Amino acid sequence: MTEFTGRHLAVSHVTKTYANGTQALLDVTLEAAAGEIVSLVGTSGCGKTTLLRLIAGLDRASGGAILVGGQPTRGTHRAISAVFQEPRLLPWLTVAQNIEFGGQDLVPSDRRGRAAGLLERIGLAGFGQYLPKNLSGGQQQRVAIARALIGHPGILLLDEPFSALDPFTRATLHELLLGLWRELRPTVVMVTHDVEEAVVLADRVVVMKPRPGRIAETITIRLPRPRDRLSPLFDAAKRRVMQSIDRSLSEHAPPAHKQATEGSAFWW
Amino acid sequence: MNAEAPIEPAPPDLLTEAAPVMRRRFSADWMVALLLPVLTGVAWEAAVRLGLASGRLMPPPSRLAVTAWGLIRTGELQTHVAATMTRVAFGFVFGALAGTALGTLTGASAWMRRLLDPTIQAIRAIPSIAWVPLFILWLGIFETSKLALVSLGVFFPVYLGVLSAIQGVDRKLIEVGRVFGLSPAKLVWRITLPAILPSWVSALRTGLGLGFMFVLAAELLGASEGLGYLLLDGEQMGRADSILVAMITFAILGKLCDSLLVAVSRPILAWQDTARTRL
Repeated sequence: MTEFTGRHLAVSHVTKTYANGTQALLDVTLEAAAGEIVSLVGTSGCGKTTLLRLIAGLDRASGGAILVGGQPTRGTHRAISAVFQEPRLLPWLTVAQNIEFGGQDLVPSDRRGRAAGLLERIGLAGFGQYLPKNLSGGQQQRVAIARALIGHPGILLLDEPFSALDPFTRATLHELLLGLWRELRPTVVMVTHDVEEAVVLADRVVVMKPRPGRIAETITIRLPRPRDRLSPLFDAAKRRVMQSIDRSLSEHAPPAHKQATEGSAFWW
Repeated sequence: MNAEAPIEPAPPDLLTEAAPVMRRRFSADWMVALLLPVLTGVAWEAAVRLGLASGRLMPPPSRLAVTAWGLIRTGELQTHVAATMTRVAFGFVFGALAGTALGTLTGASAWMRRLLDPTIQAIRAIPSIAWVPLFILWLGIFETSKLALVSLGVFFPVYLGVLSAIQGVDRKLIEVGRVFGLSPAKLVWRITLPAILPSWVSALRTGLGLGFMFVLAAELLGASEGLGYLLLDGEQMGRADSILVAMITFAILGKLCDSLLVAVSRPILAWQDTARTRL
């Protein structure tokens, strides 16, 4: 099977209005170059998860277009794969089978070979015959990452994939993700509410603001990888993103009690 | 957290590790479960032997054993068991197949649900025994009408179980299938079906239980053989012992069939992450 070449992603004037009239996204335009890592950050209700679902093809936009490799797409796309907030492994499949599940378009021998390689790569060699219930949350999320990458997707979508994990596990998984990204070079769009995570991983951080969800600002992170979380430059970049989020909120000046906490972003 | 170290030694197999403990628990459970019936039996036997009770209406275990042995030696009990089990087996297969098929249809298609479900629910509201006169009129007094009644009893729990299980399949898992490009048919085969398997087995067990209930109803309403006939015969002859033998046989058969269903389904449900270690 051929690898997918659709790595360029363009979101063009996308609008999403729910049936009840709620305007989730208003005229969002965003581009991700091939192999780029883009983080979407913002308070809950800013539509970042909605945007990711539209790109994944799980929901339909009310207006505008989503282009993969220059071609407009509707619905799910073979070049796009995703890791969700929860691992969402299929509980009746073994770990190896779950990874293979992501390679629907591969011939079986390829699928098995790649799954074995990925198992080792994610540090779970020897766990292939385990059931998901026998793995920890962090291990399950690694399997989900392997599942998303086995088909060598052009575009990888991540929806707060590490938010349920403890900080140490999270940092390990950042490393793992960056390592796999260096090997396979997918374009990555990642939703997060963790500013540090965004700055560690992303080439560009897109700050979104709520009611209706729009892009407030795009911040390019020009730090060389691997990034030192303790360096002053890293800190400055982090501060820059935080300030942008603050500004997007005060501009909008919602009543204090209406500022939703990040916890409510977990609904997905 | 060292559980997240990149490479960790494969831990000993959790399942085999836990197995001996569970097996010991299992046999201990058996002992405890038998305590009440055995003690009651011994007490009753003693009461009759000591002349505290006549044992005419409630025969002691020894007399039940004699009666049962008599019925087995003449082959009578085997004939009754075979007749009843044949009815249950065929009725269960027909009812389960129909319930699964219709439940899948209404579960998978909203349009089919709107079309069929109200009628099926309305029919369900009729007490199933009420069908007996009609079945006898339509199908005669022999086997066919009995099979129809058993099938009807099995059908409803299976239908309801499958329907609600399909509607309850986790949307998040369906989305995984969509993201990885599964066709609608593959989505059903690889996600919906495995996901509803546990509920389907529960529904089949409920159906099987009702199958035994309805076979008895059918046999009480007219049969020349079967455990229901043995019950009725015992009543007419004033033989409490053969009534009790028939009842105990029912209990054993029902439990055996249910255990068989559980044993068959256990390997394919081993993936479940639930507190229930055995069904």
